[in-house]
Parts: sequence; C-alpha cells; structure tokens
Amino acid sequence: MRNPKIITEHWGKIDPLKIEDYLNVGGYAALKKFIAKMDPQKALDEVKISGLSGKGGAGFLTGAKWEIVAKQKGEKYFICNLDESEPGTYKDRLIAENNPQILLEGIILAALTVGAKKSYIYLNGNFEKAREILERAIEQAKENKFLGSKILGSKYLLEIEIFSGAGAYICGEETALINSIEGNRGEPKIRPPYPTEAGLFGKPTVVNNAETIANVPWIIQNGGGRYSECATKLFVLGGAVKKRGVAEAPIGTTMKKAIEELGGGMQRGKDFWFAQVGGAAGRLYLEKELDAPITGSGAILVVDKTANLYDLLLSWTGFFRRESCGKCVPCREGTFRLNEIVERLADGEISDRDKEAMLDILWTLENTTFCPLGKFAATAVRDAVDKLGVVSTNYE
Amino acid sequence: MQKSSTTSKILLDFDPEAANLLPALKKINVAFRYISEVDAEKVAEYFELPLAKVYETASFYDLLETKKPAILEIEVCSGGDCTLGESAGIIKEIENRYRIKTGDEFNPKVRLKKISCLGRCSEGPIMIVNGKVYEKMTASGVHKILGEWG
Repeated sequence: MRNPKIITEHWGKIDPLKIEDYLNVGGYAALKKFIAKMDPQKALDEVKISGLSGKGGAGFLTGAKWEIVAKQKGEKYFICNLDESEPGTYKDRLIAENNPQILLEGIILAALTVGAKKSYIYLNGNFEKAREILERAIEQAKENKFLGSKILGSKYLLEIEIFSGAGAYICGEETALINSIEGNRGEPKIRPPYPTEAGLFGKPTVVNNAETIANVPWIIQNGGGRYSECATKLFVLGGAVKKRGVAEAPIGTTMKKAIEELGGGMQRGKDFWFAQVGGAAGRLYLEKELDAPITGSGAILVVDKTANLYDLLLSWTGFFRRESCGKCVPCREGTFRLNEIVERLADGEISDRDKEAMLDILWTLENTTFCPLGKFAATAVRDAVDKLGVVSTNYE
Repeated sequence: MQKSSTTSKILLDFDPEAANLLPALKKINVAFRYISEVDAEKVAEYFELPLAKVYETASFYDLLETKKPAILEIEVCSGGDCTLGESAGIIKEIENRYRIKTGDEFNPKVRLKKISCLGRCSEGPIMIVNGKVYEKMTASGVHKILGEWG
C-alpha cells in the first residue's frame, strides 16, 4: 500500500495565512467529526489504536500519555512542544510555517480529548516567522469558531496561547519547558511527579511534540486502525546529500533509503564517510550500518570524507558546553572539560592524560547526569572514539 | 529600536504573573539590547520578586543579555550542518579581521559568539550581525558584509 502524505500533503499548495485554503482541502473535517459523532473517550481509543508515539525523539506512546491526564479531574493543560532546538532539525518549524492550521486542529482535538481548557504552544524564540504565522492562524481559527468558548456550537471551550522561548536547548525537555513558562530558569525537574500528574502550575499536563500533534486530525478522520498501517515520519536531510530539507516517508525507513531516495544520493564528487542521526545528540553510523531504520527525531546529517572531523567534534562538544543548564555537576563540568580536551585534540596537543580523562568524562556523562542531556553530550563523541578511532589509547 | 519606550511603560503591557516574566524580560531585551541592573530592579519590583530571582531567569537564556553588548555583535552558527559548510573558516576569518577571540567579552567595540543551531540548516552557514541574519555565508564573503557595518 502506498503511504499517504499525512502532514506534508498540502505544503506549498495552500497559503499558510489563509484558513480558507485549509478548509478547501478538507481542513477541520476531523474536528467537525469529533464534535458531531465522537466523545473524548472515543477519540482517545482511536489514538491508542493508532499506536501514535512521540515524534520528538523519545517515542513515548501518545495515547498512554493522554489517558493518564484524561482520567484526572479539574484544571489541566495541553502544551505543544515547538521548541525544536536540536541542531539540524527543523521539521516542526516547517509544519508551522507551511500548514499552521493542521497543527491547531491537532492541538484542539488533543486538548478536548484530555479535557484541557488552556493550551500553550511553546515556540522556539528564534522562530519569528513561524510566530507571526501561528498568531494569524489562531485569530482565524477563533473567527471560525474552532477556538474560544462553544467550539462549533458545542459545550467545548479552549484557548491557545503562544509562549515564545528565549533560546535554550534544554527547554525542549518537558519539565524544563514547564519551568520556563513558569518564569524560572529552564532547568529540568526531578521525576516523579511526572507532568501528567503535576505539570504546569502543578496541574496535570500533556506535552506533545508538534509533529506528533499534526498527525491527530488524520487519525480522527480516518481511524486509528488505518493510521497504524501507514504511519509516516518527517525526516530532515542535511550535509552532503543532493536534496537537503524535510521529507515525509513511512516509519521504519532505513538510513540507506533516506539518503538515496529522499536525499537524492550523495553530492557529486563526495564520498560517504558516516551519518549522524538525531542531531548533535545523535549516534554515528558507518556505511555498513545504514540498513537500520531511522530512530529518534529524524534528522540525518550526511558527512563526506572531505569533512574536518575536529571541526565537527568542536561543534558537538561546544554545543553541549553552551547548552548544559548547570544544574548537575557531571554535566556542567563534563561538557566543559570534554570541549576543552577536544580543543587540545584539534590543536594536536592532546596528552595521554587527556585521553584517559576523556574516557572517564564520557563514562560519567553516560551514567550519572540528572537528565538525558548529559547522555546526549557523550553519544557522538563516544561513537567518534569507538567507530572512527578519534583517540587511540594504551589503557586497558 | 524603541528608544522612546521606557522599561516602566513596557512592563505595563504585562500582568505581574509568573508566566509573563520571561515575555517581559524578552521585550525589554529587544528594546534596549540587554537587561541592565536598573531594569532588572524595576522588573523585580513590578513582579514582586526578589532581584536575584529576576537575574536567575534573565541570565539563563541565550536570547537575553545581562551585560552591555558591544557595538558590533557577531554570531556564527556552529551547528553540524553549518560546520560542514564553512562556519569554522568564517569564524577564523572574523577573528583575524578584528584580532579577537570567539567568546571574549572585554572588547566594547566588537564581540564574536558561536551560537547553537537556529534550524535554518538548508540556508547555512548562518551569520548574524546585530540581529540581522545572513544566509549561505562563505569565509571570503564576510569582509564585504562586515565592511558595511563599519
């Protein structure tokens, strides 16, 4: 069966500033169906059947997350995570810029299903264009009674507010994101309690990635069963491929297929060296490992043999040194020292002591940090050591 | 640049609630390029928070500055995609042009910063000068653009 384009179908064909364009291609049919023929329980069941899982990288089952919050009474929040600060990833930004209404419809369906009356879009502070488009889209959705009180004449009500971040990678992590909206430093909180129990302002909160949410209207419209057969994922291709950019393809697409078919193969005169999958936090894959499916956020950086590996190592370690929030010592010190050692490595001044320290730091980051950022900081460097032989040591 | 608006006027746009602290700080930062101690005190008073709490938040985020910026603030993306482009070469070229080091903060005229990915990878390498974004930069192309900034 040919996979439909669930998210990118109308990109470039509809004007993101006009809700009419989205309505003309069948937009908001899912919301109308929900209001006329469904209730939150039925919608929740469809999402559970669909097997929809988080597209931001962690892959938690969306239906399971919603169910925990839907079961609880009282005030709740729904948050669309559009922070998207992972280097080399910009699929969510393109959803907002190309078809903002599909995202809003998804947010409305999700919020009504879990019983939230207030929703936030946590938008990356650098996405100015996306913010303008989304603000306009929210206004138009209100004018058409898809938002506000008495949605389409029903008893449902919902308000969506854009919360613009201020540039912090860690705010993509849901508890840090919540801290940021609350006016605090964007540091992660200890779990439990999970946001689904005590999230924003202490209330039960669902945080979903924007791409995850954009799938919801299709699921409600066509049923969870059909979705489970033809689910897709957005992939972001970068580096030495012919066609760089975002492409939609079935879940489980292998790296090889993505590079050859979605990316159009290697650029002329460039030989494949390795691919980094999942942004700066991503693992490195050699040519012989490309038959595995792409996991995580879906970003693929293709590196060719002319690339300077030291520049890349500096890019990765510098990024995590800047973005470590400083809450826990292993990450704050580890990312800092790792970057320093890589600087010496790049200058050709690395000592045996540095090599030993580097392996110690990698172990510490992998095993002892408060949140996953520490592990992320070690991933690419670890693979560079193991697979590319960046430092070869004499230690056992 | 909104020279005419004062911090007190900006604050009046916001209800003094926790969820408005970061938006208010961002707006002050856009108006004055940074959040001075005097401004931070005004924010603290308005939101009825300790000054330390305001600084705690203000000092955390990349898009907020708590130190007076240089006349020329240059930022170069150091994400993976831009690095596979020429961003390392661009950084060296700028360092040589002004005889500065990336990250040094003591020069009041010009500062160079490496920044994290802005998600514009297909248009990279990215350079930002005083908030203006330049796409598809090359190492040799920096002089013409920086020449325009004086």
